[in-house]
Amino acid sequence: MSLRDKVGIHFEPFTFEIEKGKIKEFAMAIGDANPCYQAGEALPPTFATVIEMWGGTDFIELAEKLELELPKVLHGEQEYEYLGKIKVGERVTGVTSVTNAISKENMDLIKLETHYKNEAGELVLISRNTVIERH
Amino acid sequence: MEVGQEFIPLTKEEITHTQLVRYAGASGDFNPIHTVVPFAEKAGLGGVIAHGMLIMGFVGKAIGTWFDVNRLQKFSVRFNSITRPGEKIIVIGSIIGDTNETWLCQTKALNEKGEVKITGSFEVRKN
Repeated sequence: MSLRDKVGIHFEPFTFEIEKGKIKEFAMAIGDANPCYQAGEALPPTFATVIEMWGGTDFIELAEKLELELPKVLHGEQEYEYLGKIKVGERVTGVTSVTNAISKENMDLIKLETHYKNEAGELVLISRNTVIERH
Repeated sequence: MEVGQEFIPLTKEEITHTQLVRYAGASGDFNPIHTVVPFAEKAGLGGVIAHGMLIMGFVGKAIGTWFDVNRLQKFSVRFNSITRPGEKIIVIGSIIGDTNETWLCQTKALNEKGEVKITGSFEVRKN
């Protein structure tokens, strides 16, 4: 598969339930004792990575589908746009697609975007990331 | 709060191998370059490296000490360099601009030598 052919690839939609215990576990792994996470009143700003990795296409699967050599893959950029509140206990559905793929001097850059919707079908979060494959 | 304000830096404890294993489990990112030393060495990394997302998580923690995270609207980072177990991360940030509704902020995660790990920006609703 050529780099250009990767643009437009859509992965299967995935669903993940926002569990209070998972929020706590994730906050503790970061070492973030903010009481609002313990109480399930908010999600850590990077929590969507849990939704992606546990609920959707994890890194290893992603690398396989995009034909990337795992040892050469690095995370270049990450952006989150918070459009609505995600509540504890809610199920969110994500859809990931490849929005761009370019080659630079000694690396390929692949941009992925995931749109998350809540149970009411409202867009609540957009995640954009750039994956680097070193040559 | 006002434009130009610098936030109180967040200083994290030294990153350990155990923390990387724990973060792998919590986040679900089991890429072995973060947890399996022989794999990471074979990959030419000279040992395991921290998940970039863990360092972004530290920045997220800092934002949570500066603002109510429920008011966070946008959070973008670039991963500038890799981080290894044994390094200590410091997160700094400041307000660089605003609109009627939003504070526009920038942030960096550095190690003790001042090596930049992450440069980022974020936007927070004022009310």
